[in-house]
Amino acid sequence: MAIMKEKTKTYLHNPGYLKVELMLKGIRVDGKALKKANLDKCRDVANITCGLDIILPHNTWVTVPYADDFVNDSPYELIESEGKFFVREGAESVNVSVVPTPKFYRLKTTTGISLSKIGIVHGGHVAITPATQCDFFNKEIECRYCAGNPDIKKGKASVYTVEDVLETVEAAYKEGKAEIVYLSIGFSETADGGIEFLKPYIKAIKKHFNTLIAVEALPPKENKWIDETYAIGADSVLYNLEIFDPKLFEDICPGRAAIIGRKRHLDALEYAATVFPSGTVASHLIVGLEPIESTVTGIDFLTNMGVIPILPVYRPSPRAKLPHYKMPSTEVIAPVYGYLYRAVTTNKINTSWVRDISVVTTPLEGRFFVDDNARMQTFAQNFYKSRLGLKAAWSLATLRRKLRVKLEHSD
Amino acid sequence: MKVQIDRRRIWLIIILKSFRPVFFLATGLFFFYIINLPTPDGLTIQGQRAIALFVVCLILWVTGLLPLAITSLLAIVTVPLLGILDKKETYALFGNEAVFFILGAFILAGAAMHSGLSSRIALAIMNRFGNTPAGLVFSIFILAAVLSFFMSEHAVAAMLFPIVLEIAKGLNLKPGKSNYAKSLFLALAWGCIIGGIATFLGGARVPLAVGMLKEATGINIDFFEYTVMVFPTVLIMLLIGYFWLTRFFPSDIEDIHLAKSVFERKMKEIGKTGYMEYAVGFVMIITILFWLFFGKSLGIANIAIVSVVALFILKLVRWKDIEEYVNWGIILMYGGAITLGASMEKSGAAAWIANTIIGDWANSPLLVIAIFSLLTILLTEGMSNAAVIAILLPVGIGMASQFNIEPKLITYAIAVPAGLAFCFPMATPANAIAVSSGYITTKDMAKAGIVMMILAWVVFNMTARFYWPMIGIKL
Ligand code: SF4
Repeated sequence: MAIMKEKTKTYLHNPGYLKVELMLKGIRVDGKALKKANLDKCRDVANITCGLDIILPHNTWVTVPYADDFVNDSPYELIESEGKFFVREGAESVNVSVVPTPKFYRLKTTTGISLSKIGIVHGGHVAITPATQCDFFNKEIECRYCAGNPDIKKGKASVYTVEDVLETVEAAYKEGKAEIVYLSIGFSETADGGIEFLKPYIKAIKKHFNTLIAVEALPPKENKWIDETYAIGADSVLYNLEIFDPKLFEDICPGRAAIIGRKRHLDALEYAATVFPSGTVASHLIVGLEPIESTVTGIDFLTNMGVIPILPVYRPSPRAKLPHYKMPSTEVIAPVYGYLYRAVTTNKINTSWVRDISVVTTPLEGRFFVDDNARMQTFAQNFYKSRLGLKAAWSLATLRRKLRVKLEHSD
Repeated sequence: MKVQIDRRRIWLIIILKSFRPVFFLATGLFFFYIINLPTPDGLTIQGQRAIALFVVCLILWVTGLLPLAITSLLAIVTVPLLGILDKKETYALFGNEAVFFILGAFILAGAAMHSGLSSRIALAIMNRFGNTPAGLVFSIFILAAVLSFFMSEHAVAAMLFPIVLEIAKGLNLKPGKSNYAKSLFLALAWGCIIGGIATFLGGARVPLAVGMLKEATGINIDFFEYTVMVFPTVLIMLLIGYFWLTRFFPSDIEDIHLAKSVFERKMKEIGKTGYMEYAVGFVMIITILFWLFFGKSLGIANIAIVSVVALFILKLVRWKDIEEYVNWGIILMYGGAITLGASMEKSGAAAWIANTIIGDWANSPLLVIAIFSLLTILLTEGMSNAAVIAILLPVGIGMASQFNIEPKLITYAIAVPAGLAFCFPMATPANAIAVSSGYITTKDMAKAGIVMMILAWVVFNMTARFYWPMIGIKL
């Protein structure tokens, strides 16, 4: 692993470091700049990732906290001058773009639900949780870091209809914010891991839009549901292990450990990596909730199976059950992302899929920590973001599914 | 619907998937290649085209890459398109008597099954004679055979299968292990196979062969005549079959009283014999008697269709009930095979092939019968028995007329062994049904079946050599 870097100079000119810094420390923004950016209120209705979407140099997307109290201590400030935005630290600054609030956030579905409640945009992706429910809460074995959307608790879930979701995707799609639609679902006591519930949504989206779909769910009990997930149209799947250390996993994720089990998480990921294309099977390992060495072991383990680790940094929430948690510093975290980049490239895992995620440092962004320009990968990623590339990715995914899926009539 | 993901390397999948279009392209090119070869001496241009079409159909029937019926439809439309026969004549061949006989037979068997008559007979016989392990195997074997005299062997296998399965379960026999279970399921399959060759009704292949013979030469074989010719083969094979079955899989149980309770429960389920069953039984008996005694003068297809009409007049069945028993695919397949066979014959292609390829050795009818029956019995293990007939019979008939051999004999030499597929599940639905139970493996079936296959060939040829002259057939 790369030697930890002491902060002796500004991180402004390294988008990788700057992204981590901004995610951890937030940014100060004055009212004038906010107005210019057309951002006068918190744009994330679910209040989990309330932040300002900024594009740093090298097309590095980041969602930066700006409304919480802790940002007052941040060394970073967003300023506006002649219509341009800069992130400033002391006397130095770097030119950035601020992503305007998606227009569709102001719209409502025909049934009167605000679209911003259903779909949240992160970079070029729209994230939708059709049923904001997780039965771990009902059993009081929820993941301890889970901020717990108020909707999640005690059967009070909002379930959006397929039509509501379609209207949201359509609006996001028209604005170019639905290159990938992320559908997520919490835990429910079914063998399929929730895929049967998501099926009509996936099918409807695939039927109406040429977009890619990622499913974030808990691992199903049997592999046949992973086959089903791919067959019905999911292009990517995330089964999040969150914590690699077995003991800490049991402690921090009691529901996942007791009902699903760590082994099943890993088995499901290993199997999914043989079903889905390279770089489309991913698992979160939260940085900071376990020793860094353990996260690194997890990175090795997952990448050896062909799974992409996604490493979000945990930000404490008053609603989570982790009172003694202390957020790690950029200097501690940065080498882990460099290591992630090396592990992913050594194992020849495609990095084009996990891109433009503004709330987490992607594996390819790990190149900023190891001074590698990753020319081929960035070229591929930029291509897949172009109009032609999006079409090609969609067509290849469709063709691959056609070739791989066999439907057998059971008569 | 079950989802399966092909997880092999994508390039391998692409290569495998492109096999199909490449195959069809290559077959098409091969077809045009044959058509454009210089026409050999003694062959007409129509004959050459008929051979090209025949080769393509042969490839498609053998590989099974298209459903048999679709290949047949392709043959039907291509015959007039290539000018081998004119349109009118081609489509008239499709309206062959054999096709309507098969249709009638399907409907009559459907009526027997729908009314519950066939199940009742099956249960009654097994209950009456199945008192010992050997007695039960024997009763299943003979019952399957006898029922296959009167209805399609596939239908008999499908009808008796659930009962045999329940017996095996009721006796707590171990799938894949119990010898007795193996003998029960083989008794079912072999009974159907042997019984299926006894009359025109056991399977549609005999009417197909007879139809092809009639279209090509004008010669007819009637219901009674056919049965008289093959009956010794059936009887001897039944004896051998039972003997071999009980020796190869000696019973490993002594008590079968549990099977009795299965019969009793099933009998209770179907209740007492109703009007429908009596009436359908009556129509069936009259029909069979007419086939036996008036088949020649009235035509077996006419008798079948009149009986079908009678069933509907008497309101014994509704079209809705019958539809599922009518295998339209088989009907289309047979229509096409007959058309192709006739086009081979009428264009002179069959005679040319016989002359050129088979040549001088075909001077003894017994040798010809031996060779055709051997070819048939081998081919039928790997492909549909109707396809075997469609492939071999046009050549066989062409050869018969060329070398002054009675074409009927060649027809028997192909039509009868075509039904005798003992070794593999893909050879005939009766075998497939038996293996699908899980009580018998393909390996068991092949091991026991290979001896039956050899014996069947020997018995058929012995019948031809010794029995046929006794009933006045000149070889
Ligand atoms: S699975 Fe864990 S993280 Fe996900 S919603 Fe349920 S409790 Fe929260």
